[in-house]
Amino acid sequence: MQRMTSVCRRLSSQVWSSLTMQTIAPNLSAFAASSSTTCKSTDAAEPKEEAQTTQQFSGHIPVEELEFSYSRSSGPGGQNVNKVSTKVEVRFHVPSASWIPQDIKSKLIELEHNRVTKEGYLVLTSDKTRKQMLNQADVMDKLRSIVFKAAAKPRGLTDQEIQLRDKRLAKSKEETLREKRQRSMKKQSRGSPSVGSV
Amino acid sequence: MASTRDTAQRLIRSLPRVALHNIKSVQPKTRKKVRRSFAKGKTHGRGHKGQGQHMTLPRLGFEGGNTPFYLMIPKEPYYQNHHLRRQYPPLTMLSLQRFIDLGRVDTSIPIDLTQLCNTGLFNVNIDRKHFGVNLTEEGADIFAAKINLEVQWTTELVIAAVERNGGTVTTRYYDPKSLRALIDPLHFFKRSTAIPRCRLPPQDALEYYSSASNRGYLAKEEDIEVERQRLAQKYGYVLPDLHADPGSTMLKMRKDPGQLFYGLEPGWVVNLKDRLVLKPKSPEHLEFYAS
Repeated sequence: MQRMTSVCRRLSSQVWSSLTMQTIAPNLSAFAASSSTTCKSTDAAEPKEEAQTTQQFSGHIPVEELEFSYSRSSGPGGQNVNKVSTKVEVRFHVPSASWIPQDIKSKLIELEHNRVTKEGYLVLTSDKTRKQMLNQADVMDKLRSIVFKAAAKPRGLTDQEIQLRDKRLAKSKEETLREKRQRSMKKQSRGSPSVGSV
Repeated sequence: MASTRDTAQRLIRSLPRVALHNIKSVQPKTRKKVRRSFAKGKTHGRGHKGQGQHMTLPRLGFEGGNTPFYLMIPKEPYYQNHHLRRQYPPLTMLSLQRFIDLGRVDTSIPIDLTQLCNTGLFNVNIDRKHFGVNLTEEGADIFAAKINLEVQWTTELVIAAVERNGGTVTTRYYDPKSLRALIDPLHFFKRSTAIPRCRLPPQDALEYYSSASNRGYLAKEEDIEVERQRLAQKYGYVLPDLHADPGSTMLKMRKDPGQLFYGLEPGWVVNLKDRLVLKPKSPEHLEFYAS
């Protein structure tokens, strides 16, 4: 191990003692020297360096393009709810938003028409918790899920599903025809027998 | 692998010459003490008659028939193994902000447990199984200080609140011996013993301190960077760029996993009286303290 002349470790520099996870637990895949970073984030956040394609919404929302405003929440809570601005409101202009793909903007406005103003601003609020930061997280979560829903394409049928559907339709049609034939025979047999028939 | 012979030869070479001042006699066999006190005659410390003299005293804890104390008090499972569990006395973010505002804590240097204990308003008691500070969420909304913080336990909201203001957080484990030195460094330096090498966390704590989402000191730096971005997206704030910050050198300062004090390495001896720092030179010592 290289000994450092300055005796405190700076970020992104070699550690001088052997107490790193690579030496403690070398078999763990998360700490293997060659492994890339693992990020099991369900919030679907990706580093800013990754290019945002206009075709798909990646999950990354540029926070600087949103307008946040804070106000007092409703509900019980005494002096705390009266004084502390915990309600979070976020708004942004949908048609001019660069981070949403063009083709889903109309779908977004259609789905959330009660939350979109005449000028085209989508407004979301949250006063779910006692903390402003948690409410802000809630509002971000709502926004992300709204955009994902608008971006969701209707699922087409697979070949197998089409085959199954056609098979079932054919079978039900066959069954209908069989019943018609039987009913017809029944009605015919009700009539009085004519000369020449058995 | 060194053989016994090699080890013995090395010892002979390195140890000082045998002399009267560095040898000890083998301990003599201690004879069993026979109790023969002249003063303790007649009743031999037992008093007169009764159970005490007749060796029929009841068992320890018996209270003459009523339910004894040790059976009267009910068992409460919540305190099971409490004497073995680690405790992290809480400090709110509100308190920390107050310390900073009132100048009790210096934000121009990294804030760790020593700074918090030096305020005199936060106490860590090792005998009560305290293992450091737990920074809690109260006051996260109004927190507005840019600091390089090192705590022993914290939550995601606290991490977000600190990073939102351009600071950094690290969670760090200290074993009780190192913690004792950290809480009261002056008292430790007065004893003039070698600065200990910090031990790794116990098995049940290893996962916490090696996780980037907790900003553990054993986690990888790249993973921490990813987590910082994730948290900024989750809580809806613009992540300040640490590299562009003029105070970034201070914010990027981190202790090595075995290091206890900034600027001092394990194995060094601080002599306060003569204002000296003594460092070991032998390779065995250096290897031990760096391992």
